[in-house]
Amino acid sequence: MTQRDVQKQETRRHIIRTALLLFGENGILGTRTIDIARAAGISHGSIFAHFPTRDDLVASVIGTFGEQAIRRIHDHVGRNAPLHEVLETHLDSIKEYEALYTKLVVEGPLLSPLTRSTLVGIQSAISLHLARAARREMHEGTIKHIEIPLLFNTWIGLIHHYLINSDLFAPGESVLEKHGRILVEHYMELLAP
Amino acid sequence: MKKQCISCGMPLEKLEDYPLSDTTKDYCVHCARSDGSMKSYEEALEGMTGFMVKTQGIDKNVARGMAATMMAKMPAWRDRQ
Repeated sequence: MTQRDVQKQETRRHIIRTALLLFGENGILGTRTIDIARAAGISHGSIFAHFPTRDDLVASVIGTFGEQAIRRIHDHVGRNAPLHEVLETHLDSIKEYEALYTKLVVEGPLLSPLTRSTLVGIQSAISLHLARAARREMHEGTIKHIEIPLLFNTWIGLIHHYLINSDLFAPGESVLEKHGRILVEHYMELLAP
Repeated sequence: MKKQCISCGMPLEKLEDYPLSDTTKDYCVHCARSDGSMKSYEEALEGMTGFMVKTQGIDKNVARGMAATMMAKMPAWRDRQ
């Protein structure tokens, strides 16, 4: 890889990191590419040298969140970790990007088809991994038999409710830090046979 | 540079991610047929649609549209007319 390629990759990562912060602060819909360029200290045109469209940039930012989330959960499932640990890992992966993720959930239905599809793809991969841990425990009889889509949607519905309304549950702090543990415990109790 | 499946974008990290554990391939085990060859666009689209339906219970037609949107950005399919 040439020095130029390394520089190009570094600028691309810098744009993604900057966009990630701004999306978390101002929302995906409320952030313009010119705002990202200014905050990143680059020209507006540079953004489009790295991302053909704004939509591609948004999808790459969400992909960055998704990649780390899936990797972390995958590692736990691979080690045969119990379901409650996999759920805690899922929350940890969101916590790291909590502001961005909350905006994604709140703005979800208003986002572009590409952005929405990217997020849905990530959620499917996470559901697959949760299902692997859950199936083991269903087989062992330690949790109820529940269809995978409902198992995942019940979990995601619970945490999304707290994230969307974080101003009610944890004003000025991380709602997952404050309530994450109790949500995992509550969810596991619901699954108890 | 991290390797990703050219058909669906899945990260290719472990041996089990590759079709028939063949790390020279640039597509994943889910986008491969049982003989290790890459699935056609229609087959891959069907696979990704089914994946969304099974994991989240999304309506099949909606899932198909989303899968097509994602695949349109993938190196294997983006030049497809």
